[in-house]
Amino acid sequence: MAAFPDSDWFLTLGRLMHAEGELFRRLGYAETRFAVRVVPNNTGNGGDRIVGLVIDGYQLTEATPIVDLNDYDPDFVICGKREIWDRMLGEIAEYGRPQLRHTLSSLALVGEELWLESTDQLREDKFYRFNQTLQELLNLASKVPA
Amino acid sequence: MGAVHIKDEERVGSEAKFKLEPSVYLQKLYESGTPDLGWMNQMGEWGVRAKPGNLGLRLKDIEIGSYGIVPEHGGAHRSMAPRGAVISEDLPSLGFTINEKAECWADNVTELYEEAVARQWSSARDIPWTELKPLPDDLERAMCQLCTFLTEVEFIAADAPTRWMGQMNHDFFEVKMFLATQAMDEARHMDVFRKRALANGGGLGKASPISELSLKRIFDCPSFSAQTGRLQLLGEGFVLTMFRQGEFLAPSRVDQEIFRRCMQDESRHVGFGTMHLRAQLKANPAVAEELHEQLDDAERILLETFSVPEAVEPMAILMGGGVEHFDKGMELQGQLWRRIVHEYLQRCDSAGLDRRPRCILPTDFNKLFEATA
Repeated sequence: MAAFPDSDWFLTLGRLMHAEGELFRRLGYAETRFAVRVVPNNTGNGGDRIVGLVIDGYQLTEATPIVDLNDYDPDFVICGKREIWDRMLGEIAEYGRPQLRHTLSSLALVGEELWLESTDQLREDKFYRFNQTLQELLNLASKVPA
Repeated sequence: MGAVHIKDEERVGSEAKFKLEPSVYLQKLYESGTPDLGWMNQMGEWGVRAKPGNLGLRLKDIEIGSYGIVPEHGGAHRSMAPRGAVISEDLPSLGFTINEKAECWADNVTELYEEAVARQWSSARDIPWTELKPLPDDLERAMCQLCTFLTEVEFIAADAPTRWMGQMNHDFFEVKMFLATQAMDEARHMDVFRKRALANGGGLGKASPISELSLKRIFDCPSFSAQTGRLQLLGEGFVLTMFRQGEFLAPSRVDQEIFRRCMQDESRHVGFGTMHLRAQLKANPAVAEELHEQLDDAERILLETFSVPEAVEPMAILMGGGVEHFDKGMELQGQLWRRIVHEYLQRCDSAGLDRRPRCILPTDFNKLFEATA
């Protein structure tokens, strides 16, 4: 079974996103090409992995492992240590959403546990423009069998 | 005919001062019964068949042929005749004063307009108000003061730019449409923060003279571009970071939803402003000095904002989690200040404005106190 951050795991989220159509239509469409980067943490229980993702409207249309970020040219990259991602997904599994200060936006604001990388502030701002969609997409992990 | 009943029909027009004479055309039509149909030969580009994409028929889908060309100079007729329509010679001018594309355009304006329309939300429907729980008194007072500030400042981003809407040449209608969405966004922000202040046992706090001065300066800007620099690049960029902070410090899911949704809206406004200034500076590099002068003053006022307790303390109390953690809150504020300045300067870079040498905002929060001394 696929596990975070396998591209198949994200594609499962994409199928759930499609099934939850009304929720995402109510949020409004999103158009962004971005990446999730999982950085190994100190205890070494994960690998440095990057997954490229495309949201086109109300669907996740692409999830692919990335070797060269320059080639992929994402709007932004959400980077975090493995343990931070695991904590977020654990909270989503338990409560359906992360704890208040553990959302994508909150963590990226402080910039220590999760941070954004981008070549252009305007493109990075898409993280904020579509933030609710991004968070709801990740929250669907609560419906993915562990 | 005559099936629709009109009350007192015999009185309609009985006291009118002018008698309507049928036009030559109507007389001819009445007499001959033959329609003129001449207008059928006076069409803009014909045979256009716009095709919807996967998200419906968007503005970019109808940018076809001559209809997709936004002129560098707006129509000399200065009327609201639609771009691409056949223009009569006797159109009355509406006196538009913004007639150059570079004076108002942004290359992302149609994208942002459609996105704004698609991502509208309702403060009544989409905020889970019933989940609001009583907060400790210090947190509620701090949240209410923050909401007071936001209620006070948010609508300037509707009032001020829409003053220019009526002066923009209608060939740049996409900009007007985007500004209309921005006005709607700001109406919702004013509404949601006022509702939040009144929804959990608190109320409105103290209005701020320095905020009012800041708003007045935005309102009084001498040109749309100058105002965009002051409002969208610095002001909205600053508020965008405040919304992100709000999402972070939210003591409840209700507050988090409010700030996150406002954050999404605000990002569009900043995106428009940045791209407009990029287009304007490329076409008219001399505008840079006007922008610098506006930002010199706006940065100074922003620093003065941090000279009163009602502006500094609520955020620190919320960031720290209560008055007893005020120091921790101030420390977090210091970390975020660096981000505010960094992102502001990044946006200036993206717009093509070399602001770094003139910027008076210190990157170190501690120097803020020295700067305002």
